[in-house]
Amino acid sequence: MGLIELKDVYKIYSEGEPGEVRALNGVSLHIDRGEFVAIVGASGSGKSTMMNILGCLDVPTRGEYLLDGVPIGLRSENELAEIRSLQIGFIFQGYNLIPSLNVWQNVALPMTYQGVKPAERFQRAMEALEQMEILDKAYNRISQLSGGQQQRVAIARAIATRSPVILADEPTGALDSKTGGQVLDILKGLNETGTTVILITHDMSIAARAPRLVRLKDGNIIEDTGNAARAAEVGG
Amino acid sequence: MSAVKMALEAIRDKKGRSFLTMLGVIIGVGAVLILVTVVNGMNADIEAYYEKIGVNKVSVDINYKNRTGSADISEDLIAYVNGELGDMTAGITPDDSMTGTLRYYGAANDTATIYLGNEQWSACNNYTLNKGRDLTKMDMDNRSLVCVIGSYVAESLFGYIDPLGQSIAINGTQYTVVGTYYGKDGTAEGSLDDVVVIPYTRSRAISQSSTVTSFTVKVNTAEEVDAVISSLDYWLSEEVDSSTEYELTNLNAQMTEAEGETTSLSLILAGVASIALIVGGIGIMNIMLVTVTERTREIGIKKAVGAKRSVIITQFLVEASVLSGIGGLLGILIGYSGSLVIGKALYDLILLPDFGYTAAAFLFSIVIGVGFGLYPAVKASGLQPVEALRAD
Repeated sequence: MGLIELKDVYKIYSEGEPGEVRALNGVSLHIDRGEFVAIVGASGSGKSTMMNILGCLDVPTRGEYLLDGVPIGLRSENELAEIRSLQIGFIFQGYNLIPSLNVWQNVALPMTYQGVKPAERFQRAMEALEQMEILDKAYNRISQLSGGQQQRVAIARAIATRSPVILADEPTGALDSKTGGQVLDILKGLNETGTTVILITHDMSIAARAPRLVRLKDGNIIEDTGNAARAAEVGG
Repeated sequence: MSAVKMALEAIRDKKGRSFLTMLGVIIGVGAVLILVTVVNGMNADIEAYYEKIGVNKVSVDINYKNRTGSADISEDLIAYVNGELGDMTAGITPDDSMTGTLRYYGAANDTATIYLGNEQWSACNNYTLNKGRDLTKMDMDNRSLVCVIGSYVAESLFGYIDPLGQSIAINGTQYTVVGTYYGKDGTAEGSLDDVVVIPYTRSRAISQSSTVTSFTVKVNTAEEVDAVISSLDYWLSEEVDSSTEYELTNLNAQMTEAEGETTSLSLILAGVASIALIVGGIGIMNIMLVTVTERTREIGIKKAVGAKRSVIITQFLVEASVLSGIGGLLGILIGYSGSLVIGKALYDLILLPDFGYTAAAFLFSIVIGVGFGLYPAVKASGLQPVEALRAD
């Protein structure tokens, strides 16, 4: 059994109405523990919807999502919050840092919801910031950081949670190619330590560095290099 | 970071807006405290007045309609109280009074109250002898031309001269001052110190009426007042003839009634002031709803990284409570300063709000914050993370 299992998942907005939108149209996807998967597609292909469903921020209209063998669709709001807190480290497209908190407080925030004690929260936040080479900004306000620095803080926040899955939505979108390359290196490093990384991007040059590529178009998976490899393995 | 610390930072970030939001609570709490304190001051004033004139007193007023035909019961009444009711009473005195002019050479006093009392007058009315002697039974029997004077009369007529043995004219008749009382009401004109007492047996000479109509009975304890009143009532109903009416007044009850009136007044005023608190609460709810809208994205982030509904509810409830709590503290500050100023101006007293009321006002302000913060907090916690994250 895989870590992530999407079975014939639909996400339909305004279903049955004239303006019906099928963001995901019967998608099935299997991701094993420790994989590094890039999900690519043009704007409107359903990437973000898939990210929201994989991240338990949204639930499918139809179909089944199993995370570590546990069906997500039947979970209560609080149970979903707990799954997000313990299982998933988010790296959002727009960083999504809280301006009223300083850098280390932002990094420590998800650990608060995990129930990590204050001293350990601080220590782990500092370690993550050091890993992201931005420890010197620990007490700065978010508004005092550049885009690249903010992205590092966002990544630090995700890795400090020590979640088994990192979901990164366009993590290099706002960065120059050099910084983008560094971010990718960090994600690959995390993957090498056993973390499952799911990277959502429209940038093919970034996606090309991922061992497995899933391509979405109009809410359907039109290419999955991982599945092909596995099929070959199974077939061979 | 604790919820309270976060709330304080959020308030600090928007000082002006937070202050304006708190204003309703500040005014409400301040007004409640000032009003309650002022009413307490009024009660203290009433109590002080009754303390001065003496507590546990019963006044007996007799209205002889048939002045010529009715028998004067004064002596019998005095004998009855001192005899049968002696265990429960400290004394009885005639207590008729009149105004008039007192003269001592060039000095005159026309504000003094002239009392017609007996040897128990001072005990019944809470006066303490300062110099000389009090009226005696013999003064009554002999209809002596003597008087005992209050501290203001002594001051206004004699200044630094020792009044003892001096002769003053009371409505034209010369009386010898045999004693003076200590001041108990500020030694002021028209006060309880502006008094002179002469033997009641001189009433015919001074007031053209030989019959005493007012008496004051001093009861030992508050608990015995009712028993004394019912005994007097029974005795009087047996003694007076059908044309004579009488009235017994419990001065303690009068004080309680006066205090009751001010307490009702305080409740009404506090109710009115509470409306300000409610309006303040609505202001807090309004601003918290604005805050939720402004911080939708922050709520989305928090929920996305694992915050449960209860975390978001707590955050906004704490923020609303801290806001109203600070408002409450500032209101208490205003309540204390206002009470001090008004107490000094109206009663010349240092009046401070009662601790119980202060604590209650503070708690009420917190409750207002929690109560009116609940709807915005629940609204915030119900936001879907995906939608909240899309907010600008």
